[in-house]
Amino acid sequence: MPHYIDDKPRGIRKHSQVIVAPVTGAAIALYQLTLGGQNPRTAIVRKVMIYSAVGNVTVTIGLGLAGAFAAILPPFYALNLFDSEWTEDEIPEIEVAADITVESDIAGPLVMIEIEEIGT
Amino acid sequence: MPQLPQIYPYKPGPIEYIAMPGETVGVWVNKVYEFFRILYIEGLPRSNPLLINLGAPGAGAQTAVTQLTLLEMPDLEFGQFRAEVLDDVEVILYQGRADQRHKLHTRVATYSRFLRREDPDGHTGEFYVYEDNYAFMQATNNTDYALTQARVAFHGFRYVLETLTQYNWRAQKLPDAWTRVPGTAHL
Repeated sequence: MPHYIDDKPRGIRKHSQVIVAPVTGAAIALYQLTLGGQNPRTAIVRKVMIYSAVGNVTVTIGLGLAGAFAAILPPFYALNLFDSEWTEDEIPEIEVAADITVESDIAGPLVMIEIEEIGT
Repeated sequence: MPQLPQIYPYKPGPIEYIAMPGETVGVWVNKVYEFFRILYIEGLPRSNPLLINLGAPGAGAQTAVTQLTLLEMPDLEFGQFRAEVLDDVEVILYQGRADQRHKLHTRVATYSRFLRREDPDGHTGEFYVYEDNYAFMQATNNTDYALTQARVAFHGFRYVLETLTQYNWRAQKLPDAWTRVPGTAHL
């Protein structure tokens, strides 16, 4: 039976903690890349879950903390009191080699991501 | 009807050992086959110690030709390896530093992430390292942006050997049945 590339994922699936996203300019770590071993891993954001009880929010996922933050994906807009999910069909395959961070235009939404880590 | 195991180098599908303990292999080295009996086989799982980061090539740049010290084999052993390129680079395999593997008359085939599309198990890129006939790799970044790493992961088997002095390639004293191991690029 033939098998195709989709049968063989590039990496392993892992997840972030549920993080309370801070306000713009105060980005904090959302997912810390696995340390250890002799060689770096990279990570691809596969799923995003956001829940807000602080109003409609625009959440941005990127790299770098606080003032060094740089987005790696367009902002995610989440409606107040709705659970919002974006799955990998809707997220471009952005592979990064650093910790993933998050910020929001209003402090307080809950954010969690699933990532695929590439490496060994 | 029972069938004999079909094992041989470059076998399609997930990696398998190429001969069983007790069987005879001829390792291509110094332009002859040298003959050995396999004493012992051990798996080498894909893992962090068997991954090399060839460097951080800038846009359009190459890394240095890097010795794969992680794949060095002791005396009287050879390794059978498959490679998986993890980053968007094109990688050439050398055995010694100036001898390219997987070559045609005018071109040299490379390893890349595209390989998995047609060859998910990497059997066409299988290679062998015999004793201190070191392998080397060089990565080329064909993208228009810099890469922070150029990683290649390996897995395979190691074979512990016993010399069979009664056979000699030059004298054409050959075993009845033996498996050819392309352990070097000596041509």
